[in-house]
Amino acid sequence: MILCDTDRKILHRLQSNLPLVSRPFQELSKELNIDEDTIIERIKFMIEKGYVRRLAPIINTQAMGREATLAAVKVPEDRIDEVSAIINSYSGVSHNYLRKGKNCNIPYNMWFTMSAKDDEELHSRLKEIEDRTGLTVRSLPTTKKFKIGVRFKIY
Amino acid sequence: MTTKKEDIDVQLIKHIQEGLPVTKTPYKDIGQALGMSEDEVIQRLKKLLEFGKIRRLAASIAHRKIGINANAMCVWKVPKERVDEVGKIMAGFEEVTHCYERPTYPDWQHNVFTMIHGYTDAECEAVIQAIKEKTGLTDYVILYSEKEFKKVGVRI
Repeated sequence: MILCDTDRKILHRLQSNLPLVSRPFQELSKELNIDEDTIIERIKFMIEKGYVRRLAPIINTQAMGREATLAAVKVPEDRIDEVSAIINSYSGVSHNYLRKGKNCNIPYNMWFTMSAKDDEELHSRLKEIEDRTGLTVRSLPTTKKFKIGVRFKIY
Repeated sequence: MTTKKEDIDVQLIKHIQEGLPVTKTPYKDIGQALGMSEDEVIQRLKKLLEFGKIRRLAASIAHRKIGINANAMCVWKVPKERVDEVGKIMAGFEEVTHCYERPTYPDWQHNVFTMIHGYTDAECEAVIQAIKEKTGLTDYVILYSEKEFKKVGVRI
């Protein structure tokens, strides 16, 4: 890891909203006591090196009128690469993980999130994945939200 | 219903969803690319945040790359009448980044999902232990990610 304390301070702050003023990084420079040019340079460095995926709006899928779900599939060991490639090929798929229960067997091992412009499109895509893979896709859409907001403790 | 105003907002989001320009005046630069004033860009983004269409205008961090390697999805079997109470308790933990209720199926009875991020598995499990103590829940499973196949932000 090659991040210095300055980078960590910037990274921590950047997880909250960028100020909506003409010179947002100048505003941050006052908050963090780091000069504006350094902030800009370090952010560019962290984007270039892949520590920051992007500095951009985090879209509220549902508020934008889109439908989303968490889906789970039981994929046989020898088909994992093939099936993950099919699932990942859909642009609405934002996450896809192979998961294993700790000290416990769970009925599914591949977990992905998918969004689509509406419910009909969402279901037809999930059905298409079932048809292409011959596997059952379990859809677990959110029925109630208690928290969403990935901010990490940086230390 | 689609109005002209929404079209411009969608156009604005599409233009910046891969990343804002990291310059001294990012909003002015966005405005120049889209043919609107700096002030219009700022006002539109303010409204999008205010109405919750954008959750945040912020950095998405490659958490594994900075050492946050543990990512536990802990799923809980919670009686229907306790979901609200328990969901609020779970959401109160800083390490719990997401907390949702989801439907059950005959082969899937765990209805409350929590995502816990930490630097180590032990750190995640300490949080789970604390949730157990605070809620009295005992029926749960921890699902660790073994492999990340895809992780991108939502785009429109």
